[in-house]
Amino acid sequence: MRALLPIAAMALLGGCATNSLVLLPSEDGGHGAVAVLDGKGGETVVSQPNSRTRLAGRPTTAAYQVKPAEQALLDGLPPKPAQFILYFKEGTTDLTPESQPRLEELLAEVRRRPGVEAQVTGYTDTLGSDDDNDRLSQRRAEEVLEVLAAQGIDTGLLTAVGRGERSLLVKTGDGVREPANRRVEVIVR
Amino acid sequence: MNSRSIVALVALAIAAQPGLAAEIGRVKRSTGIATIERGKAKVPTAPGTQLQTGDVLVTGKDGQIALTFIDDTRFAVGPNSRVALSQFAYDRTRQTGSFLTDVNRGSVAVVSGQIAKSGRDAMKVRTPTALLGVRGTRFIVEAGK
Repeated sequence: MRALLPIAAMALLGGCATNSLVLLPSEDGGHGAVAVLDGKGGETVVSQPNSRTRLAGRPTTAAYQVKPAEQALLDGLPPKPAQFILYFKEGTTDLTPESQPRLEELLAEVRRRPGVEAQVTGYTDTLGSDDDNDRLSQRRAEEVLEVLAAQGIDTGLLTAVGRGERSLLVKTGDGVREPANRRVEVIVR
Repeated sequence: MNSRSIVALVALAIAAQPGLAAEIGRVKRSTGIATIERGKAKVPTAPGTQLQTGDVLVTGKDGQIALTFIDDTRFAVGPNSRVALSQFAYDRTRQTGSFLTDVNRGSVAVVSGQIAKSGRDAMKVRTPTALLGVRGTRFIVEAGK
């Protein structure tokens, strides 16, 4: 009878009463790690996927299969942020024809996500002055923002930043035409 | 909306970033009893609700809150939980920062983002009995009594 008491107590607390860490494989199939820090510079690194580590006292790790409540929690995670890259014609805020379908995909993704936010960042190639390119990159970002706004997306959910010719997708010297660098990157969360 | 008001909005969004109450993330979904404690205020959770440093996420028996952070970290807070976003700093340009979450009670599923990648133990999770340094990427932390 005495032995049953702790089990009953655990059941009352919903079966997850212990302080614990469950490490899972990464979404891309790789595996990461979490370190249990002792606050004095020491640590115990947990790197075994599908394991459970008790966090009271000395950490102990064992193989583990997630329970339904834990699976429900994992299923409740928001989807991975999506990235879109749209390309522009030289010196303009006009999308290349190839990027039109990608813009449609972006719109669909924005509509699909509840509580959506989109971070829009414009870039240029290295042709022209830094100042001109800063302005052009900002206008490119705003152009994409405007298209989203025209589709009824609340612009309060969006940010647009121009980064000019900093952060080139394809590294080039100054004054070089490079279509791959004339772009807007959008992260949809 | 005309382009001038968009430019104004953009300027506002940029100006708002270094502020004290800067947005660090958003609620994507919430079910059951779920609230955000912000100082003495209780903020209802709905898709799009903005999160700030210091917010405490509180759920009831059937509650769950899904959220994303500006560094791409994602959380799902489980039922009967109390999770504090104690410290959060992120430089969007450099993609570096620091993040401390306190799981006082209940459970949270995590997929870490840019902050965890930006430095050793730049992202930490604290429970009543342990301090964790996050090195990536997907895990669940449970805190009992």
